[in-house]
Amino acid sequence: MQEQTSEQDLKERLNLISTMIAEGRCTTQSYSWTFILWGVAYFVAIAWATWGSGWAMWGHNWVAWPVTMISTFVLTWILAIRKYKGGHQPPTTMSRAISSIWIAMGLSMFILLFSMGMSGRADQQVFVAIIAAMLGTANAASGILLKWKQQFACAVVWWAAAVVSLFGSVAQSTVAFLAAILVCQIVFGIYGMMLEARVRKIRGAVHA
Amino acid sequence: MPELPELNPIIHGKLRLALLSLLAGVEEAEFTWLRGKTGSTDGNLGAQLLKLEEAGYLAVEKKFVSRKPQTIYRITDSGRQALTEYVQALKQLLGSAITA
Repeated sequence: MQEQTSEQDLKERLNLISTMIAEGRCTTQSYSWTFILWGVAYFVAIAWATWGSGWAMWGHNWVAWPVTMISTFVLTWILAIRKYKGGHQPPTTMSRAISSIWIAMGLSMFILLFSMGMSGRADQQVFVAIIAAMLGTANAASGILLKWKQQFACAVVWWAAAVVSLFGSVAQSTVAFLAAILVCQIVFGIYGMMLEARVRKIRGAVHA
Repeated sequence: MPELPELNPIIHGKLRLALLSLLAGVEEAEFTWLRGKTGSTDGNLGAQLLKLEEAGYLAVEKKFVSRKPQTIYRITDSGRQALTEYVQALKQLLGSAITA
């Protein structure tokens, strides 16, 4: 058999094996769109919280974060059902570990932000530092589990934003937060989607 | 000169190789998920999965979820072993091709 099998074919088969195993184990990468969606949601929440008080239709800006986050959560849920219907993701130990990190982080953040918003104890710089530190934790844990350096780098960016927020001025805190959202949500999300597209291209070469 | 290894003909088919590799990365998977990942037709996919099942490389479980039939596939220990040996054989063949 191997006489008929070229070196190129052998390499393609090895590549196919590693791609398929990676695809089965793929978790965060297949959810790259959620990074972009949540990145946009953070921008919307910030804009609403900053300038929303003057908009009579939207009322007081203390509701900006809770309402935006709840709406985004519902939207994520609906889009995920539509995207993955007809064959849900098979379970892996890795996927359970990573999803548990993000679910726990999401719940903690929701409870915290909602309580901060309702109680009126929201100091902007502390607020940004907490969000950035929590997102740094989730990204770092996922990055370590997936051995994905780019995601760990996002964690470092979030941690840096948390530090800048606490030691810098209000303006510096805002800039650091916006920059972290842009890099770690939007740019990282687009990068993840590009990787997904590459995997889909390789999959197209699979035939019996 | 060392003898070159034989490539397992059951795994050698590209779709069967893809299926076994996919299942090596997950605990279990539905037929529909495997179809989506490989882009294969129902008939072809079913036939290739049956070959792997007959070889003892896959375990199959059929059940009903919300009155809908669901077929779940898992890689067996011998399937994992066969895939490992196949990868080793591939690497050996590639090594000999490079040194030749």
